[in-house]
This record gives sequence, structure tokens and C-alpha cells, in this order.
Amino acid sequence: MNSLIEQAPLLAPIALGILAVWMLLPREGNRAWVIAGLCGISALLWLTKNFLPPVDNAVQTGMFFLFGGGAIISGTLMITEKNPVYAALWFAVVTLSTCGLFLLNAAPFLSAATVVVYAGAIVVTFLFVIMLAQQGGATGYDRKAFQPILASIAGFMLLACLLFTLQAFGGKAVVAADGEEQPVARPQFVLPPANVVSNPLSQPQPRRDKPDQNDLGTLQGVGRSLFGDYLFAVELAGTVLLIATIGTIALAPRRSQGTL
Amino acid sequence: MTGQLECQLVVGAILFVLGAIGFLTRRNLILMMLSAEMMLHGVAVNLTAFGRYHGNSSGQVFTIFVLTIAACEAGLSLALILGLYQRRKSLDVQLWGNLGEPDLPILSAPEESRVEPQHPADLPQLTPAGAMPKTPTQPFSQKV
Repeated sequence: MNSLIEQAPLLAPIALGILAVWMLLPREGNRAWVIAGLCGISALLWLTKNFLPPVDNAVQTGMFFLFGGGAIISGTLMITEKNPVYAALWFAVVTLSTCGLFLLNAAPFLSAATVVVYAGAIVVTFLFVIMLAQQGGATGYDRKAFQPILASIAGFMLLACLLFTLQAFGGKAVVAADGEEQPVARPQFVLPPANVVSNPLSQPQPRRDKPDQNDLGTLQGVGRSLFGDYLFAVELAGTVLLIATIGTIALAPRRSQGTL
Repeated sequence: MTGQLECQLVVGAILFVLGAIGFLTRRNLILMMLSAEMMLHGVAVNLTAFGRYHGNSSGQVFTIFVLTIAACEAGLSLALILGLYQRRKSLDVQLWGNLGEPDLPILSAPEESRVEPQHPADLPQLTPAGAMPKTPTQPFSQKV
């Protein structure tokens, strides 16, 4: 019981999140928008109090809050939206926010590729199918979620386990070279693995033209890693794409079976 | 730098969990697939954050592979969804609940208007069985 009380800063936002998602999920009758929104926003704020990034770079932190908060809020709105067309549009917003996070992670090429593939192709294709199959907007099965209480409790228990595990990494003290444990000033969230030196794939790669700089974030680095370290996987991915194309053509409804 | 990693892992975990809740609760087939894609987004955020933490491009390369598989999944799932829609004229996933085991408990009451399955015309249809034929009075081998 004491350990439960100790974990209150973790468990309270989880409980608020369960409340928010449960109240927002589609149901018969009116949904308590205001209470659910307040619950969700307070849960997010409570969580940021625990997992606040160090404010060393105000611009970067602000952009992280913009994109991360945008992704989470629009994701919640997506799974709770009654009209499937609006849900697909909210999913596009989630994708764009995730692309912003990719930019923060020094992955500009990946960000552009995700915008093109997801927001440009996948969301549009899903919208086509929604328009084709469901012209009347929200139908009966969209207005009533399936087992909202059980699902939100199960999902947020998974989230609590993940956050607890991440927190437990942070509580560890760093063992110094002479074997004496030193408590870290700010608990480190994820300790670098001990054998990081011996693993060649975990090393920063220097730029070829400027050896004193890291090539993280350049297209050159991505290309060298993709077609150097992972060339076999690239060939496999091409094969998977080909097989998926053939399977899609084989599975798609024939015209002889009638139109939709 | 490490602080960025923590927060991005938290955002990735929340996106994954929201996708999982959407997959469990929504009854529209298309929204279930979109929720699965949102789970993939959570994983992609984690991968790029770790790639930045280790200072190399492996995380981005893994995310490119995730993108590839997501594109395959979207194509295949849309073909399947269109096929299922053609049978039942509805995107409700619970119309296909009879594919499960018959003795499992049903968690939701059956809804107002269940559309009867409409089989496409060119599926093989067996002729209905008639009355049972009479047993022959004498064995076939003794027939002339």
C-alpha cells in the first residue's frame, strides 16, 4: 500500500486519463466534454511535471511541447470522434505532429517521407474508402463504442506499466569506476548500455567530408546506413512490398462480383 | 539531450496506448486500421529518439522500414475491408463476431438492425438437400 502511495504522481494522471478517455468515447446521449477535457489536460500537465525536460533550450522545449502535446491531444480526439471522416483528418494531424517530433530528432528526410506517405497517400486512401462505403456520416456502430470502460482501463494499465518501467530506470545510481555508487544529481532516465563501446552500430558515425562532425541528420548518413549496414533488409523490404502488391490485387473485390 | 529522450519515450508510449484503446473500442473497420497506424507512430517516435540518443542513423533506417510495412498493411487492409463491406454492406466489425468460438461470452447485446449477409452471385452455391433416398432393396452388385 505504501508503494502505491509513493507512486501517486504516476498513478493520479493515469486515473485522470482513464476518466477523460472513458468520458470522451462515443456513447448514446451526451458526452461530458468539459469535464473530460479538464481531466485530460490536468493529467497531461501532471505528467509533464514528472517528466519535464530540462529547460536548456527554450525553443526546442517549446517545439517539443507543441508537437508532442498536439500529437497526444489530436490522437485522443481521433479515437473519440464519432464521424469517421473527421477521425481520419485528426489522424492526419497526429501524423503531422509526429513529423514535427521527427524533425526535433534530427530526421528531416524521414519527416518529409512520412508526410508524403502517410498524410499524402494513406490518409487519402482511407478517406476514399470511407466516402465510398459510408456516405451518410456517423452510423449506429460509430455512435457507440465497444466496452469503453474495460478498454480504457486495460490501455492505461499498459501505459502505467511502461511509465513505471521508464521511471525505474531513472532511479538507478551510477556505479563509478572505483565501484562506489554515486547518486546522480538528476536521475538519468535511460542509462547507456555498458557495452556501447564495443557495439559498432551504436557509435556516432563521422561525416565523410568533415570527419570532426557527426553525420546525424544528414541525408548522406541515412543513405550510408540504409544501403550499407542494412542493405539486405532493404532488399527484403522491397520483396515485402512486391508481395503485398500482388496480395492486394488478388484480394481486391472483382468487378464481376458487383460494385460496392 | 537525455531529457529530450525521456519525454519522447513518454509521448511514444502515450501514442501507442491511445492507438491500442482505439483499436479495442472502435467498431468501424477503417478506424481500427487507423488506430493501428497510430500505434506504429508511437513506435516510430521511440525509434528516432533512440537514434538521436545514440548519435547515428539506425533509428531513422528502422523507421523507414516501419513506414514500408505500414504502407503494405494499409493496402492489404483496405482490400480486405472492401471485400468484407461487399458481403455485409456495413463496416461494423461486430457483424463478423460469429467467426469466433461459439461458446465464448458475447460482451455486447445484438444491435437494432443486423444486415443479413449477401453473398456475391458467383460464389458456389450448393443445391439444398432433398429427402433421403430410399435404400435399394437389393445390393448394387446383384443388379443386372
